[in-house]
Amino acid sequence: MQALPVVEKLVPDPVRELRLGDIPLRQEVELVSIDLPADQAEPLLERGVLPGCRICPVRSSPGGDPIVSIDGSLLALRRETAACLCVRILSSLQDVA
Amino acid sequence: MDELLPASRVTPDDPAGPPGPDGVPVSAVPTPLVALVGPPNSGKTTLFNQLTGLRQKVANYPGVTVEKHVGRVKLGGGRELDLVDLPGVHGFSARTLDERVTKNVLEGKVPGIRSPDALVLIVDSTRLENQLMLVEPVLEIGLPTLLVLNMSDELEERGGRVDDGPLATRLGVEIVRTSARTGQGVEAVRAYLESVEAVPGGVEPVERNLTNVKAGTALPVVDAFAARRRLVREVVDEAGFVPPGPSAMSERLDALFLHRFLGPLVFLAVVLLVFQSIFTWAVPLMDAIDLMIVTSGEWLATTLPDSWFRSLLVDGVWAGVGSVIIFLPQILILFLFLGILEDSGYMARAAVIADRMMYRVGLQGRAFLPLLSGYACAVPAILAARTIDDERDRLATIFVTPFMTCSARLPVYALLIAAFIPDEPLLGPVVGKRAAVLLGLYGLGIVAAVGTAFLLKRTLLKARPTSFLMELPPYRIPAPRTLALRLLDRSKIFLRRAGRVIFAVTVVLWTLTQFPRSEGGAPEMDESALGRIGHVIEPVIEPLGFDWRIGVGLVTSLAAREVIVGTLGTIYGVETADEDPEALQELLRRDLEPGAAVGLLVFFAFALQCMSTVAVMRRESGGWKWPALQFTYMLLLGYAGAFVAYRVF
Repeated sequence: MQALPVVEKLVPDPVRELRLGDIPLRQEVELVSIDLPADQAEPLLERGVLPGCRICPVRSSPGGDPIVSIDGSLLALRRETAACLCVRILSSLQDVA
Repeated sequence: MDELLPASRVTPDDPAGPPGPDGVPVSAVPTPLVALVGPPNSGKTTLFNQLTGLRQKVANYPGVTVEKHVGRVKLGGGRELDLVDLPGVHGFSARTLDERVTKNVLEGKVPGIRSPDALVLIVDSTRLENQLMLVEPVLEIGLPTLLVLNMSDELEERGGRVDDGPLATRLGVEIVRTSARTGQGVEAVRAYLESVEAVPGGVEPVERNLTNVKAGTALPVVDAFAARRRLVREVVDEAGFVPPGPSAMSERLDALFLHRFLGPLVFLAVVLLVFQSIFTWAVPLMDAIDLMIVTSGEWLATTLPDSWFRSLLVDGVWAGVGSVIIFLPQILILFLFLGILEDSGYMARAAVIADRMMYRVGLQGRAFLPLLSGYACAVPAILAARTIDDERDRLATIFVTPFMTCSARLPVYALLIAAFIPDEPLLGPVVGKRAAVLLGLYGLGIVAAVGTAFLLKRTLLKARPTSFLMELPPYRIPAPRTLALRLLDRSKIFLRRAGRVIFAVTVVLWTLTQFPRSEGGAPEMDESALGRIGHVIEPVIEPLGFDWRIGVGLVTSLAAREVIVGTLGTIYGVETADEDPEALQELLRRDLEPGAAVGLLVFFAFALQCMSTVAVMRRESGGWKWPALQFTYMLLLGYAGAFVAYRVF
């Protein structure tokens, strides 16, 4: 028996498709939702990674994992985690700022 | 572990106490206790050290190995106050040991520690929004609280700003700005502490149940945090908080340390530097200590009259405890380096670089620090693993840490390599055969650790992949005072261990060599209780090419690996291994085939010949299951490895 494929990887959801992992460096985005079980989401929440917050990938680690800036703090994530953070790009006016 | 807080020792009927400011004898009122709370890297420990200096004690919290740092602060009028430095936390979900301890102390649930009378919440003001996520749960405790805005000098230097007035009003707390590193503002914190009064009998047991979610909320966790975040936003807006501009230095350093190619190179250079320091710079210091121990031992031997007591003291205690104290320089140098790396902020970057590699074998970036520490000694390394938030990751890490080639293996390796491996060049003039064998043994340890971790995470500790989150604090120059106090802590802990465990073991071993008495004196080694133990296990180790003498060494080195060197010296009638190492090597060559010698090296690379590690594993894993499994696994691996080596070589 083959295991069912993980849904979010195969079915592109037009609204929730954009993940933090897809965002280029220095593009500030707003977190929409966290697609992780509660126990894994809690450490993120404690550090202010909450729906509505602004995140900006600022650097990539030598291993290719994102380092993001949030509330003036730098946070290193795994790309697997970044792939579970649904984000949306802020309007172009805010991008310029 | 058994040490209680000074506060709990104060008895109401103690007549010696000087009268307090209001005429009441000080001892009639318990010493107030203030808890220092804050997120990691907020400068908590630096402030703690500024306030307490050398008047601090390190012990463990009951039942766990999280260190309890308690210091006494001298106040005006002869009053004193106890300050407890709690582990840094981001919240109160009690996922890690550190979080659990912080939560329990704040809730007044730790036996032997009175419930705190007041709190000092310290935050890094350059990251105020992030750090204030703790403010709501801490204020909910309902104790008098001082909010310390640390690193306020840095905030202003980088063009940031915050208005304390509205912040204090809104939160209902007193506020002090400090720069714990330069000591600015520390006096204001002390002034606040002056105002803290102990509540006699402790603060009444209010039902305090710290969680990340407000009591009685039925909301999903996310909403609780969102509410907390909204509060923080409102508070910082009212206080006119302007976040500081980016730190140019931090950005420049990150551009190097996290660079795609240069980053790993720097990482490698740092690891090599730590190694180099442990293995070469420590040598002169270790030689000096060795000389001191040997000379003082000889002096004792000539001064004391010949008796069993002299034998016990000189051959047993002096040699045994000395063989451990000799590692003090290595451990101190290691901790000095680790302290600098951690306090400067580099360690967080190193963990990020290591995470990808570690993740492949089933561990995570935070395992890097314990594994690196394991090259000096597994005991502090296992303690260092407590920052790993995922329980399975932590267990896997501490399970494989003893495979790292600790410095106690070196004397064993040195003896056997010198005796059996010819000093010939292998790859050009630089890498000789001896160095190659030594490197091979290090490699063997790494392979065993990686393989075991891989296996564990696919069997016993199987779990869905966890997340790894690492906050990268701004780079800072480490405070020498904090480093020095930490080194002092480490030496005390290490010496206490050497003093207790190794002392007891050497006395037992010595006794076993003295009985049964023959003709009123010590028996031949062969006939002694220890020798008989060797003979009993001889059939088991015969397939490895070991005789009873090695067997005795294997038994005694259960206490600590390096003990086998001294034991073999004693068995072969060589007074001490130091005096004539050639003689011992000669005798070993006579009794041990080269294949068996390689087997013995492999056995020591794998087997968990260290009771201190077993003891610390029991405490860290909360029972005998893991240390028993670890001991058996490593022993079997060592046996199998030695067996194979004996056949092959």
